[in-house]
Amino acid sequence: MKIEILGSGCPKCFETERRVQKVVQELGLQAEVVHVYDMMEIARRRVMFTPAIAIDGEVKLSGHVPSEEEIKALLKK
Amino acid sequence: MLWELIQAGLLALWDYIALHVLTCLIPAFLLAGAMVTFVSKETIIYYLGTAAQKLKAFALAAGGSFFVAACSCTVIPVSSGLYYAGASIGAAFIVLWVAPAANILALTYTGAILGGTMALTRIIAALVMAFLVGWVMTAVFRREEQTRVQPVAAPSNPGDAPTHLMGRSDVILLILLVISLLAPNYLVQKGPYWAKVLVWGIATIIVFGYAFWVKPIEELKRWMGETWWFVRLIFPLLLAGVFVVGVIGKLLPEEWVRSALGGSSLSASFLATLIGSVSYFATMTEAPFVDTLMKLGMGPGPALALLLTGPGLSLPNWLAIARVFGVKKALVYVVTIIVLGTLVGWLAGNFIF
Repeated sequence: MKIEILGSGCPKCFETERRVQKVVQELGLQAEVVHVYDMMEIARRRVMFTPAIAIDGEVKLSGHVPSEEEIKALLKK
Repeated sequence: MLWELIQAGLLALWDYIALHVLTCLIPAFLLAGAMVTFVSKETIIYYLGTAAQKLKAFALAAGGSFFVAACSCTVIPVSSGLYYAGASIGAAFIVLWVAPAANILALTYTGAILGGTMALTRIIAALVMAFLVGWVMTAVFRREEQTRVQPVAAPSNPGDAPTHLMGRSDVILLILLVISLLAPNYLVQKGPYWAKVLVWGIATIIVFGYAFWVKPIEELKRWMGETWWFVRLIFPLLLAGVFVVGVIGKLLPEEWVRSALGGSSLSASFLATLIGSVSYFATMTEAPFVDTLMKLGMGPGPALALLLTGPGLSLPNWLAIARVFGVKKALVYVVTIIVLGTLVGWLAGNFIF
C-alpha cells in the first residue's frame, strides 16, 4: 500500500503525516508513506484543501487534519 | 543598547497581551475555527468552478473568498486547483488575492484594532483591487486562455455536487461570533478595561450558550480542534511580530517613520506597499503591526496599502505562485498588485481619511 500525504509544508500537513505514521505502525501495516510537497503535483491531483491523504493514488481525504480514528477507518477499507 | 531593545520588545509584547488577548484574540480565533468547521469551502469552490459568465465568476470569486480565512500560503492550492479545474484565470487570481487580503476574520480583527473606517475602506479597496486584478490577468493572458486545453472535468455525479453551504444555525453562530469580537471594542471605546472584559464575557456566554443549544457535541469538538490549530499556528507569529515591531519602534526614530511613511504622498504609499508585498504576514498579524507604525507616525493611506498587501503578498508567496502558474503570470500579478496597492493607498489617503 502506498500512502501519500499531500501538503505544502504547513504544520497541519506534518501533523497529518505524524498521525498516519503512528496509525500505520499501530496496525502493523506494510505501507510506504510519502509526503508530496510539489504544488504542481498537488494541483494535478485536484486537491485544493491541504492536508490531503491519497491511498494508492486515490485521494481519500482533504481539508483537515484527520483524527487517528479517521485514518484507521481509511486504511482498513 | 541591546538590553534596551529587548526591553522595548517585551514592553510592546506585554501591552499587546494585556489589552488584546482576551477581548480580541480569543474571539478571533473562535471565529476562525468556526468558519473552517461550519462553512463548506467545498461548496463555495464548486460554484466558482462552474460559473461560466465572467462577471458572475468574478463576483462569486470575490464574495466567496470573504469566507475562506486563509494565509497567503494555504490559498495557493485552492486557487491553482480552481484554475486547473477549468475556472478562468481572472477568477483564480481573484481568489488568490481576496482570501488573504480581505477575509471576514482579518476584517473584523482590523475593525477591532484600528477602527471601523479602516476596516470598511479595506473591504472596498480589496474588492476594487480584486476586480482590477481579475481584469488585468484576463486581458494580458487572453490568447492563452482561448487556447488553454480544457482539462477533463473531474468525475462528477450529479449527486456529488455539494449544495449545502451552511445551515441557518451556522450563520447565526458566525454572526454572534463577529459581534463578540466587535462589541467589547466598540461599545467600550473609552471606558476602563474591565468594562471591555465584562462585555466580552457576556458575549462569549451567549455564543457558547447558543452553540451548546444547536450543535451536537461532535461538531463542537471539531470547532475547538480547528480553533486550537489557529492558536498554534498564528499566536506565536503574532507574538514574534509584536515583539519585532516593538524593537523596530525603538530602533527607528519617529521622525524617520513620519517622513518616510507619514502623510499620504505617493512615495509613502509605494514604500508601504513594497514592505507589505515582500514580507510575510500571517492573517491577522498585519493589524497590530500597522497599529504600532501608525502610532509612530505612519499616515492612514500608506497604512491601508500595508494592510492590503501585507497578508496578500509575500516573497515566499511570489515564488510559490511562479511555481504553480508560471513566472510570467506571477510577474504580471505581483506588478499589478504593487501598482494598485500604491494607487489605492494614495487615493484613500487623499480622499477618504
